[in-house]
Amino acid sequence: MRPIRADLHIHSLLSPCGSLEMTPREIISLAAAKGLEMIAVSDHNSTLHCELTVTLGKRAGITVLRAAEVTSAEDVHSLVLLPDEKARISFQEWIDMHNAHIPYNPDIFGDQVVIDEKENIILRIDHFLTAALNATLDEVEAAAHIRGGLFIPAHIDRPSMSIISQLGFIPDDLYIDAVEVVGRTPELLHPVIRNSDAHIPEHIGRRFTTYMIDHPSFEELAMALRGEEGRYIMTDLP
Amino acid sequence: MKVTDIVEKLNLKIFSGHDGLGREVTGGYASDLLSDVMGHATAGSAWITIQTHRNVVAIASLRDLSAVIITCGEKPGDDTVSQSNEESIPVLGTDLPTFEIAGRLYSLIS
Repeated sequence: MRPIRADLHIHSLLSPCGSLEMTPREIISLAAAKGLEMIAVSDHNSTLHCELTVTLGKRAGITVLRAAEVTSAEDVHSLVLLPDEKARISFQEWIDMHNAHIPYNPDIFGDQVVIDEKENIILRIDHFLTAALNATLDEVEAAAHIRGGLFIPAHIDRPSMSIISQLGFIPDDLYIDAVEVVGRTPELLHPVIRNSDAHIPEHIGRRFTTYMIDHPSFEELAMALRGEEGRYIMTDLP
Repeated sequence: MKVTDIVEKLNLKIFSGHDGLGREVTGGYASDLLSDVMGHATAGSAWITIQTHRNVVAIASLRDLSAVIITCGEKPGDDTVSQSNEESIPVLGTDLPTFEIAGRLYSLIS
């Protein structure tokens, strides 16, 4: 068991607000430079850059988890982390089923493109990715958990698009694996983690969490969040 | 003016919380941020929102609001309905968007 640094909330150029420099290659290269052993690519309502980043991460010795930052009907942002490629595909299908198809203007919001390893554009998304899905927070939570995923309300201490801003407080019957904060650590019953929410290269790793785990992996992370078998979130948070 | 009066005059649907229809409506508040309502809505107000989450009822109860009016034809979920019945806070509905129903409620009670 050893301390492992992870930043589990990073946007690629696929997110409309993500900088075009945020290619999977750049993300991996900066993660390595920042000493992050585990990251997650978590674009708004899309997992389409996960596989390429996983592949590039493997070559660089960085574990990449598949994720998305989902906007539910209440305009709450939550991170959903998925255990494997099968779960990612199934979760992407679920996202597509609940897409609200809000028309999109790249001139206003920025491009939404999927690229390949040679950084050629292979797909342009024509609906606004950040828009709320036709799915409630409870439904997002269920969709994550039935696929073996982790459900983590994002930046809960931000004044917008957070579970607290939108819903006033965390519903006590919602099954939450952890909460993500950006500021001071609140006193909560839920495990607290911090991530960069990077949209530009310089922000990768600006916030991260250190986990005491055996090796970087989805399963080890899940155990750390549950405090199982000696795994835990290291309490070095401010 | 009572909740039952605004239901009639604004042609609102009653989803739940019938026991609270006699509550007095002394004002209105329109917001979809529950954190904002929690901090700023005044007691007796009818709250106009597109949010349907069960926390809506909890916050209406916390602020002692007279009713919740859900707009744009949205419908509350079962858990929202049952909590509304428990708290006796009527959850009402309209197909109108928030701007229009807020205008009509304002004319009615001001």
